[in-house]
Amino acid sequence: MIAPDWFREDRLPHIYCTGCGNGTIINCTLAAVEEMGWKRDETVFVSGIGCSSRAPGYILTDSLHTTHGRALAFATGVKMARPDLHVVVFTGDGDLAAIGGNHFIHACRRNVDMTVICMNNHIYGMTGGQGSPTTPPGAISSTTPYGASEPAFDLAELAVAAGANYVARWTSYHVKELTKAVAAGMQTPGLSFIEARTQCPTNYGRHNKLRSVSAMIEHLRSHAILVAKRDRLVAEGKPIPEGAFTVGELVRRNRPAMGVQR
Amino acid sequence: MKLVIDESRCKGCNLCVLVCPYGIFREGTELNSRGIVAPVLDRPERCTNCRLQALYGRMLCGVCHMICPDQAISWVEEKPFEPHKVEVEF
Repeated sequence: MIAPDWFREDRLPHIYCTGCGNGTIINCTLAAVEEMGWKRDETVFVSGIGCSSRAPGYILTDSLHTTHGRALAFATGVKMARPDLHVVVFTGDGDLAAIGGNHFIHACRRNVDMTVICMNNHIYGMTGGQGSPTTPPGAISSTTPYGASEPAFDLAELAVAAGANYVARWTSYHVKELTKAVAAGMQTPGLSFIEARTQCPTNYGRHNKLRSVSAMIEHLRSHAILVAKRDRLVAEGKPIPEGAFTVGELVRRNRPAMGVQR
Repeated sequence: MKLVIDESRCKGCNLCVLVCPYGIFREGTELNSRGIVAPVLDRPERCTNCRLQALYGRMLCGVCHMICPDQAISWVEEKPFEPHKVEVEF
């Protein structure tokens, strides 16, 4: 249950398009914060630039809306200066994977104690649907009119390799699981990375025959396979379906973390 | 408790229609004053959260509330039923 007093009611309704999944991710994050019992003046939301990064503007806490891709750098600064604050970072795929890729891998390597929620909508939604590093191969966007020819970034696997303490991936359809994953990430000391695949019917679905919100959600739901199922398919030697991505908890470990208050 | 859709926030994405296990939300047909076709409620008293939230003391189901990107779905307290006189005109 999300308490309505976490929302800045005078700013609602927000500017997201009809059916945009970012609002769902805000709901899940606030439900997880509510579950953790964090106070409003002990929580800081940091974001960069993009659709996803407008999220802290609708939340009634202290927040930082920073430069493009540098949300993690600012958040590291906040955590180093005030280790008693709880830091949550909202970023998008263009923010985290493209321009802020270097900050991302180094934040994972340092294992700074914060929660990073990446709203991955496979596209640069705000600036008109340009292809991002997470655009799946073959998808049509305004900079890849004949279909994206490059392989896409797997952000969750990247965070596992770079050394984050908790990594999970869910979609905006799996609201209960996503809430549990965000809460688990908040409990884990060290950097917790939760990739949330969201729908963008306006700029991604419109060019890829997924114009309606339900078609886009159905596409996300049918292409998600659980980690256990992926492992079972690999063990049995069966092929993993084309275009499928794993969802679930990918790693949980106890590497030494930075910025944890003793 | 009573299920309500805040029509000043709803943008008509119909995600609630997709997720409700009871089929309480139905796609609307009429434009409202903001030019949006908001979903309509079909017998909302069937909602498990409306009936049993007070008994269990916690949120039950609540998927529509979580998935609504516009924070438009909520439950409001309802006054207990009061019998009132109905005048029938013949």
